[in-house]
Amino acid sequence: MSRTEKLMPMSDAIDRYVADGDVLYLGGFIQQDPFAAAHEIIRQGRKDLTVSKCASLILVDQMIGAGVVSRLITSFTWNPLPAQAHCFVRALTRQVPHKIDMEEYSILALNLAYFAGALNLPYVATKTMLGSGFDWEQTDFGVKNRLKFETSPFTGERVCLVPPIKHDVGIMQVQRCDPYGNAQAWGMMGEVRYGLQSCEKLIICAEEIVDTDVITRDPNRTLVPAFRVNAVVKEPWGSHPAPMAGYYDMDWPYNAYYEKETRTEDQFQNFLEKWVYGIRDRKAYLKLIKQDRLDALIPERFDSDPVPYGKLTSHFGVPYA
Amino acid sequence: MANSPVILGCRMLETKGPVTRVEQMIVSAARLIQDKSVLMVGTQWPIIVSLLAKALHAPEITICYEGGAIIEKVPDRIPFFTGDPVVNSSSVLIGDSFDTLGAVLHGGRADMALLSAASVDRYGNINTTCVGDYRSPKIRFGGSGGACDFGSLAPKTTIVLEHDKKRFPEMVDFITTPGNLKGKDNRRESGLRPNTGPHAVVTTLGLFNFDKEGEMVLTAYNPTASVREVKDAVQWDLKTHKDVGPLDPPSEKELEVLRVQIDPGGMYLREARLLKKSEVVI
Repeated sequence: MSRTEKLMPMSDAIDRYVADGDVLYLGGFIQQDPFAAAHEIIRQGRKDLTVSKCASLILVDQMIGAGVVSRLITSFTWNPLPAQAHCFVRALTRQVPHKIDMEEYSILALNLAYFAGALNLPYVATKTMLGSGFDWEQTDFGVKNRLKFETSPFTGERVCLVPPIKHDVGIMQVQRCDPYGNAQAWGMMGEVRYGLQSCEKLIICAEEIVDTDVITRDPNRTLVPAFRVNAVVKEPWGSHPAPMAGYYDMDWPYNAYYEKETRTEDQFQNFLEKWVYGIRDRKAYLKLIKQDRLDALIPERFDSDPVPYGKLTSHFGVPYA
Repeated sequence: MANSPVILGCRMLETKGPVTRVEQMIVSAARLIQDKSVLMVGTQWPIIVSLLAKALHAPEITICYEGGAIIEKVPDRIPFFTGDPVVNSSSVLIGDSFDTLGAVLHGGRADMALLSAASVDRYGNINTTCVGDYRSPKIRFGGSGGACDFGSLAPKTTIVLEHDKKRFPEMVDFITTPGNLKGKDNRRESGLRPNTGPHAVVTTLGLFNFDKEGEMVLTAYNPTASVREVKDAVQWDLKTHKDVGPLDPPSEKELEVLRVQIDPGGMYLREARLLKKSEVVI
C-alpha cells in the first residue's frame, strides 16, 4: 500500500493551500489556537480573507490588525484578561486598518452552522438567538440574510434557522498527527470537530509527528482522518501563547503584554514587526520568547491510563451447537 | 528585560479585614445556587460564584462550561476563564460544545445559568456587543460567546456584575442575550420557551429579581449601601420589593472559604489576574 506523506514546512503549507479571498476556518476553542500558521499567513501577505473562528482571542486580533481579514465569522473576540481586543475594536469603530464585515452568532448557533456545513445540510433549526439583537425581524441588523426566523412545520413554534457554513481551507494545531494526516487532539474541543469537517482542504499543525501505529492504538482520539488532510506541519509550541493540553499552559502574562503593547496602531505595527515580520519562522519566534518562559509553561505530568481496545485475529467464538 | 516568568499573586492567609462589595456580591450570588442543580457557568464572576457554592452548601452541583467541560470538583487552581487549560485535568467530561450547550442546555437539562455582563437593562436584557448603532458602534465589546444561548434557553438566568450606573440603562443598545425583551409576554411571543429567562441580578450594590411584568425589582441591598444609593445607580425609576432590606453579610465561614480556599491568590478578589501592578516586559 503506497501512501502519500504530507509533511512540509509551514511556509509551503500556507503558500500552497491558503489563497487570497479564501474562507478560512481556524480551529481551537481558546486552547490549541494555530498561532504559528496565522503568523505565516500574515508574513506571506494574504488579503481579503474571511476568517471563521468561534472563539476569537488575540490571534484573530492580530490578523485583523495586520489587514488580512475582510470578513469575520465569530461568536466573540476579546483578550481573555479580560480586556478589549484593540485591533478588532479599531476595525469596527474606526475602520482601521480597513472595514471588516461581521457575521456573528452565539456559540451554539455557530456550532450548528458548522455542523450543517460538515453534513451538507440545508439548515438546522434551533431555539437559541430568538428575540436577540440578531433576530432580524425585530432589529434589522446583525446577521441579516444569514439567519431566518420561521414557524416549525412540526410544532408550530417559532424557530431560528441556521444556514450551513463551509470553508475553503481549515487549519488546526493538534497534539499529534501521523505523516499522512491522521490527527489526534484532546482537551476542550468547543466547535472544532464540525469546524474542521466543514472545510474543503485542511492543514494540520502538530506538536509531534507519530507513527500510524500510535494513531490506530487509540482511534477514539482522532479528530480528522488522513484522507481529509492536505498538509501536515511539525510545529512544536505552534499554539503559544494559547495553551495545548498536556504540553503547555496559556502564557497568561503574554495576554497582558499584548494588551499593553497594542493600544495604538503604531504600537501594534511595532508589535507585528517584532513578532511576525521581523522573524522567519516559529523557531525564531521561540528564541524571542526565551527558554525559561517556555519551561515555566510546561505542566506537571498527569496521564490517563491506557484503555484496552482488544486485538481480534480470528472469527467466531465457540459455536452454539 | 524580565527573563523570569511573572509570578501571579501571592497566597493570602489574611482572612480578617472588612468585607468588600465584590465579596458580598460573590457570596450573595453563591447562596442562590441549590445543591444538586445543573449549572451553565459563564466566564468571569460566575466561575468563582459557582466554585464557592460547591465548596460550601452545594457540593453536588454539576458545572458545565460552554466549550464542552463538565466539572464536579473544585479545580486545582481557580480558572481565569472557562477555557482555562486547568479545566482539562479537573473535569469528569471534556467534549465539545454540543455536550454542554447542546445536550445539557438546549436539551433542557440545565437548572440555572450564571452570566457576567457589560450591561443589563430594566427587563434583564444583556448587552455584551456594542454601544451605539451596531453597524458603526461607538464602543465595541467582545460579543455573545455562549451568553445568548444561556439567556435564551436556561430556566433561571442569574447575572452577576459590578454595579455602575453606565451599565444599567433603561434599554440596552443591543440585545446580545435576551431577557424579558420589552416585558410582559414579549419573551414568549418571540418564540423563547416558557419557564426560561432571567431570574436574578446580583451586583456590588444588591440583589434584584423580576416581577410579573418582567421588570427588574430591587429585592435586597448591600448592607453598606441603601435603597437610595441603588435607585440612583440605575438609569430608570427602579421598583423596590415591599419587603426590601439589607442582604445578610457573609458569614465567617463563607468569607474564609472564599478567601483561603477558592481564591487564595486574590485572582478575582484583588484582580491579581489582570497583572495591573506587574511590569510585563518581553
